[in-house]
Amino acid sequence: MSERLPRARAIRMGRALAVVTVLCALPFYLDAFWLRIGLFSMAAAVGAVGLGLLSGTAGQLSLGHAFFLAVGAYGYVWLAGEPGPGLPTAVAAVLAVLLAGAAGGLFSPVAGRVRGIYLGVATLALVFLGHHVLLTADSVTGGFNGRSVPPLEVGGFSFSTDSELTLLGVPFGAEERLWYLGLGLFAVTWFTARGILRGRPGRALVALRDSETAAAVMGVNVSRYRSAAFVVSSMYAGLAGVLLALSFRRVVPDYFGLVLSVDYLAMIVIGGLGSVAGATAGAVFVTALPLLMTRYADQLPLVAAPGTTDGTIGPTEAARYLYGAAIVLILLFTPDGLHGLARRLRARLRSRRAAPPPSGTTAPSQPPTSAARAKEPTP
Amino acid sequence: MTVRTTAPPELTVTDVTVRFAGLTALDAVSFTVAPGSVHALIGPNGAGKSTCFNVLSGLCRPATGTVRLGDADLTRLAPHRIAALGMARTFQNIVTTQGTVADNLMLGRHALSRSGFAANALRLPQARREQREHLDRAREIAELTGLAGHFDIPVDLLSYGDRKRVEFARALCLEPSVLLLDEPVAGMNAAERARTVEVVHTVRAELGLSVVLVEHDMGLVMRLADEVTVLDFGRRIAHGTPDEVRSDPEVLRAYLGTGAGQEDAA
Repeated sequence: MSERLPRARAIRMGRALAVVTVLCALPFYLDAFWLRIGLFSMAAAVGAVGLGLLSGTAGQLSLGHAFFLAVGAYGYVWLAGEPGPGLPTAVAAVLAVLLAGAAGGLFSPVAGRVRGIYLGVATLALVFLGHHVLLTADSVTGGFNGRSVPPLEVGGFSFSTDSELTLLGVPFGAEERLWYLGLGLFAVTWFTARGILRGRPGRALVALRDSETAAAVMGVNVSRYRSAAFVVSSMYAGLAGVLLALSFRRVVPDYFGLVLSVDYLAMIVIGGLGSVAGATAGAVFVTALPLLMTRYADQLPLVAAPGTTDGTIGPTEAARYLYGAAIVLILLFTPDGLHGLARRLRARLRSRRAAPPPSGTTAPSQPPTSAARAKEPTP
Repeated sequence: MTVRTTAPPELTVTDVTVRFAGLTALDAVSFTVAPGSVHALIGPNGAGKSTCFNVLSGLCRPATGTVRLGDADLTRLAPHRIAALGMARTFQNIVTTQGTVADNLMLGRHALSRSGFAANALRLPQARREQREHLDRAREIAELTGLAGHFDIPVDLLSYGDRKRVEFARALCLEPSVLLLDEPVAGMNAAERARTVEVVHTVRAELGLSVVLVEHDMGLVMRLADEVTVLDFGRRIAHGTPDEVRSDPEVLRAYLGTGAGQEDAA
């Protein structure tokens, strides 16, 4: 056992290193379309991890995630832009995350009192309220047309195409630069969220979900942890909002509607509730799949090329159908999401690897039970 | 790590009354749990035993009366504050949380540890050290309760008896001075019962805590308890040593109905 543990750990480290290397190398090989898909996926993953913490781990249904994403995105734009205080963009980004956390904190008196589906409806109100404010508070949000997003600048390095940069013969535009920003922020999310989940707060949140009474008599301050879950989740949403704003380069109110909240719920359910890896997988699935399908649907049979109207279904509709079918299939066959599916595949692989019996050496192998059983008379 | 050397404080329940919309679940109930003793609370179904536990652990506020643990007044405290003062309980129906046995026991260490969201998110050294120390203690308690072999196994995969034991161990992880056990052997077979009795004995000897026990298994109550309080319809009808209670006519009437006074309640 003492020998195997470091080896397992080395394998895990090696695998993680390989993944990081591949992710860092991708901008040198992929064009802007793919990088943008990756960037949206990373931003969504950050937000989904936050919602996973709140709804998956702590069991508090939230339909208001879009609101906190909007606070992050618009907070950054307003704090860094004109009109607005025009703060240095890096400061604005940090403040926007804190602002989203504060918004979550303001909501916590409600979150501490209302449970289950009622909490879902209460958070729904946040989305409508937020959308209305975004449309009407012209001086801050730019109204219906939204506002353009000032590019992030850290220590003189701009995450935009303002300055020319070529690395190893590859021109580094905004997408390439933002890719690394996204990777970095996602790494921070991954690290911190897993730390929370595996530590004392994570166990308290799980207890909150499984039984509030048990949590309380074990010493968990229930109302405090319920609101803390909201604050932390909103901070991740704020971070995702900043990243989304930077990727879109323009924020508009209609993006931050109820559909976005539902998308995030779909991410954590498809990925598998309660795990960081699951939320990430779900985020990539929900973000990338519709974009990819729209792009490649015209190559499917029976789908018309874009722009033609000869009675067959268009690529956008086909993409929607396929996306819907994929969700239904996942929920039907792996109710514990992509994360559960991966876990089961891994367990099967491991047992297959352990299975090959070098005949004679191991304990008496089991008789072919199925054949023997079939001959027994049924009682 | 933190093994108490002094005797646990005395638990005093004075004139506690609880009403649920016209129904009096507890009617001026008083009893005292002597430091380090096993105090059994018995009575027919609906007598108010579980309500009494809920009052003690803060899940239910009494209309009148007080609950004191040593010098501390527990009557109006929130459950998590009462837990922090050293009162731990198990539930009649098992309430474990998802995860391994280790996760469940570590939940029991919640009140004794400090690290919050930020420290764990950044994986600060102090948070990791704290976690390691408490994990060591949780492992010790798992050994004490016979769960060492299951420490890293998800709770859902354990048998009923083992899951009940997980709850018991989780309560012990709080390092309580008073342990409330709500039907610890309900639904267990004879071997599991014997083992649980043994564990309660060990725990009492090694950790020196007071135990309040609700149980229908009279044989177990008679063997374990130093003192017995009998409730019926929310009132205390008898009180004393197991032998005194066993021959009390009121108790026999409550358990067996009138006219069956000669039968042994056990």
